[in-house]
Amino acid sequence: MNKKDLYDPFFEHDSCGVGFVANINGQRTHKIVSDGITVLRNLVHRGAIGGDKKTGDGAGMLVQVPHDFFLRECAKTGTKLPEPGAYGVGMLFLPRDEKKRAGARSVVETVVKQESGRTLGWRDVPVDPGCLGEVAAASMPHICQVFVAFDGAAGDALERKLYVARKCMEREAAAAGLSIDEFYVPSLSCATVNYKGMFVAPQFESFYPDLLDATFTSAIALVHQRYSTNTFPSWALAQPFRLMAHNGEINTLRGNINKMNAREATLSSALFGADIKKLFPVIMPGGSDSAMFDNVFELLTLGGRSMEHSMMMMVPEAFGPRYHISEDKRAFYEYHAAIMEPWDGPAAISFTDGTRVGAALDRNGLRPARYVITRGGAIVLASEIGVLDIPASQVLEKGRLAPGRMILVDTAQNRVITDNETKASVSRRKPYRRWLEKNRIELKGLFGVPGPVRIERDTLLTNEKTFGYTLEDLTAIIAPMAENAQEPVGSMGNDEALAVLSERPQLLFNYFKQLFAQVTNPPIDPYREALVMSLMSFVGREGNMLDESEQHCRQLKLLHPILSNDDMDKLRHMSVGGYRSCVQPILFKPEESVLAAALVDIARDVEKKVDEGCSLVILSDRGVDEDHVPIPSLLAVSAVHHHLVRAGKRQLTGLAIETGEAREVMHFACLMGFGASAINPYLAFEIIADIRERAGFPADMTLESAIENYITAVKKGLLKIMSKMGVSTIRSYKGAQIFEAVGLGEELINRYFPGTPSRIGGIGLDVVAREAMERHRAAFAKGTAAPDTNGLEPGGKYAFRRSSEKHLLTPEAVALLQKAVRENSYGVFKRYSAHVNDVAANLCTLRGLFSLKQSQAVPLDSVEPVEAIVKRFVTSAMSFGSISKEAHETLAIAMNRLGAASNSGEGGEDEGRYTPLPNGDSMKSAIKQVASARFGVTSNYLVNSRELQIKMAQGAKPGEGGQLPGNKVDALIAKVRCSTPGVMLISPPPHHDIYSIEDLAQLIFDLKNANRDARVSVKLVAQAGVGTVAAGVAKGKADMVLISGHDGGTGASPISSIKHAGIPWEIGLAETQQVLVKNRLRGTIRVQCDGQMKTGRDVVIAALLGAEEFGFGTAALVTLGCVMMRKCHLNTCPVGVASQDPALRKRFTGKPEYVINFMRFIAQEVREYMALLGFRTIDEMVGRADMLEVNAAVSHYKTRGLDFSAVLARPERDAGQPLHCMSKQVHDFSNSLDPAIIEQAKGALDKKTPVSLAIPIRNRNRTAGAMLSSEISKRYGSKGLPHGTIRVKFIGEAGQSFGAFLAPGVTFELEGDANDYVGKGLSGGKIIIYPPKDASYRPHNNIITGNVNLFGAVSGEMYVHGMAGERFAVRNSGALAVVEGVGDHGCEYMTGGRVVVLGKTGVNFAAGMSGGIAYVLDENQLFDTRCNLEMVDLEPVVEEEDKKGLRTLVENHVRHTGSPYAQQILADWTEMLPRFVKVIPIDYKSALERIRKDQSRETEIVSLTEEVY
Amino acid sequence: MGKITGFLDYTRATHAERPVKERLGDYKEIARPLADEQASQQAARCMDCGIPFCHAMGCPVFNLIPEWNDLVYKGRWREAYERLEKTNNLPEITGRICPAPCEPACTLAINSGPVAIKDIELAIIEHAFSQGWVTARPPLAESGKKVAVIGSGPAGIAAAQQLRRRGHAVTVFEKEDKIGGILRYGIPDFKLEKWVLDRRLEQLIEEGVTFETSVSIGDDLSAHYLMRAFDAVLVTMGAGEARDLQVPGRGLEGIHFAMEYLAQSNKTVSGKIAKGKTITAKDKNVLVIGGGDTGSDCVGTANRQGAKKVLQFEIMPRPREWGDPRNPDWPYWPQLLRTSTSHEEGCERQWGILTRQFSGRDAQVERIHCVKVEWKPPADGKPPAMAEINGSEFTLDVDLVLLAMGFIHVAHNKLLDDMNVVFDERGNIKTNNYATSAAGVFAAGDADIGASLVVRAIYHGREAAKSIDAFLS
Repeated sequence: MNKKDLYDPFFEHDSCGVGFVANINGQRTHKIVSDGITVLRNLVHRGAIGGDKKTGDGAGMLVQVPHDFFLRECAKTGTKLPEPGAYGVGMLFLPRDEKKRAGARSVVETVVKQESGRTLGWRDVPVDPGCLGEVAAASMPHICQVFVAFDGAAGDALERKLYVARKCMEREAAAAGLSIDEFYVPSLSCATVNYKGMFVAPQFESFYPDLLDATFTSAIALVHQRYSTNTFPSWALAQPFRLMAHNGEINTLRGNINKMNAREATLSSALFGADIKKLFPVIMPGGSDSAMFDNVFELLTLGGRSMEHSMMMMVPEAFGPRYHISEDKRAFYEYHAAIMEPWDGPAAISFTDGTRVGAALDRNGLRPARYVITRGGAIVLASEIGVLDIPASQVLEKGRLAPGRMILVDTAQNRVITDNETKASVSRRKPYRRWLEKNRIELKGLFGVPGPVRIERDTLLTNEKTFGYTLEDLTAIIAPMAENAQEPVGSMGNDEALAVLSERPQLLFNYFKQLFAQVTNPPIDPYREALVMSLMSFVGREGNMLDESEQHCRQLKLLHPILSNDDMDKLRHMSVGGYRSCVQPILFKPEESVLAAALVDIARDVEKKVDEGCSLVILSDRGVDEDHVPIPSLLAVSAVHHHLVRAGKRQLTGLAIETGEAREVMHFACLMGFGASAINPYLAFEIIADIRERAGFPADMTLESAIENYITAVKKGLLKIMSKMGVSTIRSYKGAQIFEAVGLGEELINRYFPGTPSRIGGIGLDVVAREAMERHRAAFAKGTAAPDTNGLEPGGKYAFRRSSEKHLLTPEAVALLQKAVRENSYGVFKRYSAHVNDVAANLCTLRGLFSLKQSQAVPLDSVEPVEAIVKRFVTSAMSFGSISKEAHETLAIAMNRLGAASNSGEGGEDEGRYTPLPNGDSMKSAIKQVASARFGVTSNYLVNSRELQIKMAQGAKPGEGGQLPGNKVDALIAKVRCSTPGVMLISPPPHHDIYSIEDLAQLIFDLKNANRDARVSVKLVAQAGVGTVAAGVAKGKADMVLISGHDGGTGASPISSIKHAGIPWEIGLAETQQVLVKNRLRGTIRVQCDGQMKTGRDVVIAALLGAEEFGFGTAALVTLGCVMMRKCHLNTCPVGVASQDPALRKRFTGKPEYVINFMRFIAQEVREYMALLGFRTIDEMVGRADMLEVNAAVSHYKTRGLDFSAVLARPERDAGQPLHCMSKQVHDFSNSLDPAIIEQAKGALDKKTPVSLAIPIRNRNRTAGAMLSSEISKRYGSKGLPHGTIRVKFIGEAGQSFGAFLAPGVTFELEGDANDYVGKGLSGGKIIIYPPKDASYRPHNNIITGNVNLFGAVSGEMYVHGMAGERFAVRNSGALAVVEGVGDHGCEYMTGGRVVVLGKTGVNFAAGMSGGIAYVLDENQLFDTRCNLEMVDLEPVVEEEDKKGLRTLVENHVRHTGSPYAQQILADWTEMLPRFVKVIPIDYKSALERIRKDQSRETEIVSLTEEVY
Repeated sequence: MGKITGFLDYTRATHAERPVKERLGDYKEIARPLADEQASQQAARCMDCGIPFCHAMGCPVFNLIPEWNDLVYKGRWREAYERLEKTNNLPEITGRICPAPCEPACTLAINSGPVAIKDIELAIIEHAFSQGWVTARPPLAESGKKVAVIGSGPAGIAAAQQLRRRGHAVTVFEKEDKIGGILRYGIPDFKLEKWVLDRRLEQLIEEGVTFETSVSIGDDLSAHYLMRAFDAVLVTMGAGEARDLQVPGRGLEGIHFAMEYLAQSNKTVSGKIAKGKTITAKDKNVLVIGGGDTGSDCVGTANRQGAKKVLQFEIMPRPREWGDPRNPDWPYWPQLLRTSTSHEEGCERQWGILTRQFSGRDAQVERIHCVKVEWKPPADGKPPAMAEINGSEFTLDVDLVLLAMGFIHVAHNKLLDDMNVVFDERGNIKTNNYATSAAGVFAAGDADIGASLVVRAIYHGREAAKSIDAFLS
């Protein structure tokens, strides 16, 4: 594909609302259809609308074939339909152009004929395009239906025929030159028909009048409302697909596609016979991830497996040792792990074959799915509760899908089948357990303690040099891993030259950047939620996917992919029951030209070995000598992997790599990501042995434990890298290529790394060879020289070394910048900026390669003044906690004086700072960050801001969480973070209220409610596809999107994340600008950019590429005295900038003036450039990428292949489409209840007069209470109103974020149900929820409120008469809550408050809980098996204080909710009390004791390694 | 990285010095080096900075300071020595006499005392010598190329060793009768005892470097011969042209260039009877003109010789006094009042003094006539301007005047004429990556860049060796 710019549809994401309605008894009614439409209408807010304000992202409905309706309709055109089920209906999207359409129709008819079927007739589907948006209308296809029959075929056989026919049609159409937009078959089935298109739900029924017809009946309606980040509307990609609708995202798509393609060669099926070949490619190119999932799901299902069986294969639940599940089910999953890898990612999937309908959640349960079963025999399942009005008396059961669970409705059997029943019967279809026991290969001792490692003194140094080791690799990477069993931590971002700009030979790994989850799907917490993750895999020869036999699991089971040298020895000589291994060397002769041929030979040899029956190929670079250079391991692995994929043989063998090259976790991740099944890093092991011999480890550390630690660090690192993309299993991570390349040429990519984004071109194979040979030459320098005693080069990647890797921040730059701002000398500043900009010396960044075009200059006087320009500047988010109080406040004062903005960073803000200082200065951060942990995010915090920034990712470690160890949490930090001193604070990787794009829109809406005057911004990190995410953000109505470069970052992060995740902002920003403009979204959203911004030139380039605001992090800190120690993580900052140690803080000498001088200098320099370029205002300059060109003068052998045309491309745009933000987002509060409440509560707000209100509510009424609370906070600060001043009783089903940020003095009572995020950021208010009085179900066994309740709650109370969903009270820091049951991950990351659970909990309760107390009624004494005991102790409730407190809370609960269940508990108190378990974090307990004893907190010791995972 | 909290736990401590009284009685080294344990503790203070300004901005040879600090802290002396040896051929010398610009550049110099880098360097190399780790590393084979090095100061020694280790046949020519140049003849024993130098030279000899002493190229051997006989010639003859004081009475007896005085003293101390007339300070009123290190060495030497009184005049104003180990101009070299060990031994220093003339009798200097000057602060990037203070003239009785006012450039002698070497505008040899205008002739050190530090000469010697090696292959 010849892409002109950076937009690539591959990165489009969609999410949405999903659901179904069904009559369990199978009765086909029109009501089901109209209910389906109602459900869609009530899910509108989960969809999105495009830049033309009208085009929806898509909605649709899959229903049973309405035979009577079609019979009547077809009769009109003379088509006679046979019996129901004896014909297929095809829904077709064909070209509007008549001539083309005729061609398309003939494709259909020809294929039907070829397949010996008959075309019965055609029907043009009536449509009303009038309701469509401009964009949707323009691309609307001609929609028609075709009726076909295959004589003698009915039921499944007919369905298979139709499937084959459709696949043939798709292929033929493509061959005839029809694109997916010109020929698309939404469905061709005898059971179902699919109505969908590019609209939002309300347009749905008017577009398809068919749906209003009373004879249009179905017992099943599966619906979907899409929210997509896409650029070009696609009717085809609206959901549902043929069998399913999907709310979620497949993160491992590339690997799944490759593996599926490879499998085709060996597929066979008795059901399809010779037709099987007609099904290829199984996955239709050009589809979305959901469409591709549907393709495979369809094959599996029509290939003979049941829908539920297929679903369990593709989306297996977690079955690790921490789960109590049946042995048969575990065996089922393990067995199938040898056949298919999970399609990994968050997912709520609903599916139907026309008779049965069901839904399933992925293992993490990161999408909501709520259902109601009525007494009348109907079921409705949807992303939210309340999408259909069902009287409480009619409700039989209310529930939600738990993670990994499935619900199935069989309309033929007239029953709902539970998860347990479904899975038990599927798992026992075959003796999977016995098959496994008999066949899987688990050599004894294979993965025991690693044996001794020999140090080969003769070759150690030459090997180290050949594989490019530096001293830093040893001291900064390998030794810490072996010592601490975790990867090392660094600070202050990455200012090193990109690999492609480095003049020193780089490892091929360094050209790759990890991708990470951002907005459209959540990263996972690999530590606290480790139980869902797995490094286990099967390695070997896979069997035919459409069949099952015991031979299928005759594979090697690896518990993790890192092999010790011992393992390697055993594997080399293994031959067990037909399982054979063989070794393939990967070395080449030291000549540039031979590498390509060597790779061809290797691939051919491997293929031959596979043909000969080898089940495990070991690629090995052992044997390096003077005449043998190792092929970069990543290149070898990927080349062989892709060769086998292309040959259709990849699934026939495992691929292990024995390499001296791999040392950092990034290396292991790359190797796995590009196809390796297992890795043996023999040289790293040898180096560990050598370090130990040199006394580099503590004396008592054995070699075995050093190596084990190292392996553990790699394992943890792999889990982390997988989890940052939201991938749970190594099985699906393998070969998933979750990387993008920066600086690799197209030819190299297409040949060896196909499918990997690489947007600026770069080096070819010759340079790869040259770099390998340079290292080799350095190791085997022939000649006369005396051998060095210790020849390893210093390194210079992590710490500056002269004559080593280049860094943007040189010692001279730091010194000059500090001198300039202290002396207020613009002259010195110009020396600084000249030094930093010096392209020849500082070939570090992409922008360094650009130059500004000559232009008509304007006088400097005519350019807008410094004062105006600095208002566009911000200091990047740096939390108080990572930097010192002094530094944080100085930044705020400086930026406020300039009228610019500083950023609070994560972690709240001391309210004292909201009051201006006597001299008029203000220490209030204008930008308040809302990060994943929500520390201190209260109503009052939100009100006191000009901008609310949702941090989705940060440049230093996108996709990761972090933690502040307890010893750093002093009294002040604890206060602003609303926590307890001495208690560790964990920031989870995801925002638990943002698992998808529609969730982000919800949070934006919440924040808009919480402060209508503040703008809302979203911080993203540049990576491939960031532009499409930004488009989604714009559709979610954010006012600003911030694109951060990969290289920024001021706090502590794992070194591999600092170095290897994310890409330069130049690319990400350009992509964002292009996609937003193309999408007509640019005019309503501002764009900010940050990441190693150092000079006026940087700002100008960012503006030209599309930014109108600019952030400074590192440079601002340097002005305040930071000297790039890169020791922030050790709390030992010697200049008091990034330390909390009072003694060190005293060393802080920064002044606001320094920051001000810097900002003004930058602005002045920007003005000078603007004058030269002829721009008078920044606005004129934004997006004028045409003013940039590539500096032809800069070139070395690696930059020659770089191609910036896509980066510098200006997007095609319609006339009048702006390049910068011209207007504000329009927020729709029409469904908000708060304005009315505020009106009625005026007296209470102004005069504290108590008021009681009663209001109906439904799911469209979202975020009730946030706006009201903002009015209270504005007036009364965090203290709010006296308790109970405003009481509101709601009746109905509350929308999401009910009671969010509820302020003190407000009580919300809800009679009905609630959706997700109840009490988010609860700030002192009270929430009471109970079922309708006439409910006939038992509330404590039914779900009444959704997921993620009390997220980040700070204070207040909540009483829930019924069960809550997943993650109840997640990151609660002070609220009191009573609930009658919770789902998985209850009280996760909690840091304070009290939670009483009067019933069942899901698994992983109290994971990461560092504070607060939970009391759980543990009736069956098994709670400890469901609790994550890592950080908490379980105790009986014996202390008087506890007993009393608990009883009071239960009494409150009864008083507020009237729960008979709780009344009973009180009645039997003496009996019940012993059944309560007290869950208390170990840290917290000691912190409480410390506080009690009022011990001094001055005894803090700096921990050796702060784990910032 | 040393000890994480080392810089908070330990304070800066440097080597001790022998008491003034004791040391004035001999020419032995003044310093008492740190014991290994002390050095380890001092090394613990190193913070392993993300930007080690000591290494990257302070140290002219870019010593890998944080790397060896860490190793010394951990007691891994051998590896520390290996890292030290990567960048510096003469650490035992820089560890003794270097002004250590690394230390004021140390990050700890911002607000506390810098790491005692110089002392640690010395500890490492002396530890290495004592353990016998410093052995010859001759090349694996001969390259067949021959290189002549003219001048055996630090640049010449460093270059010779580097070139030899690359396999070239290296001959060092020295016009004096012993190898070492400034190291042997410029620096007094109380700062650098000469066995230290000899010990290193043994290593070079063992590695195969040939030393030809008492050979003056241009006189004893023609430049043309040298250029023919060798594949490359490296000129490291220092900046021999001392700055003179062109005032009336300069021709009087008893006025000498410092280098003349120091060289003679050094020779005497080494047991060699000086030829010709001996310059001695014994029982004299000695005036040293020039406030730099050389002047200071004259002060120390004069006191040891038994001077009656020692004075030191400097034309520049008195620098800031700064009693703190912090560096107010971090990371740059601060202009501060520095009191050397020699000053401690007795010396009256005056600043802002301009010499107008000398006067005397019987051709012997007896008096100096001076005037005080003041300096206008610099403006607009122009150098500060000097003005005489009216009525501040004074005279002083002196018996011995030592001119230590620095050096102008390399001596423009016959050798350089014969080689047709072009000079730059300051009179130094003009080079491009150490290659002079004459084919095959290279220059490094003070001869190339003008008078500077020993450590810088080492660096340039090493770099020139690289350049020559590339030229030869």
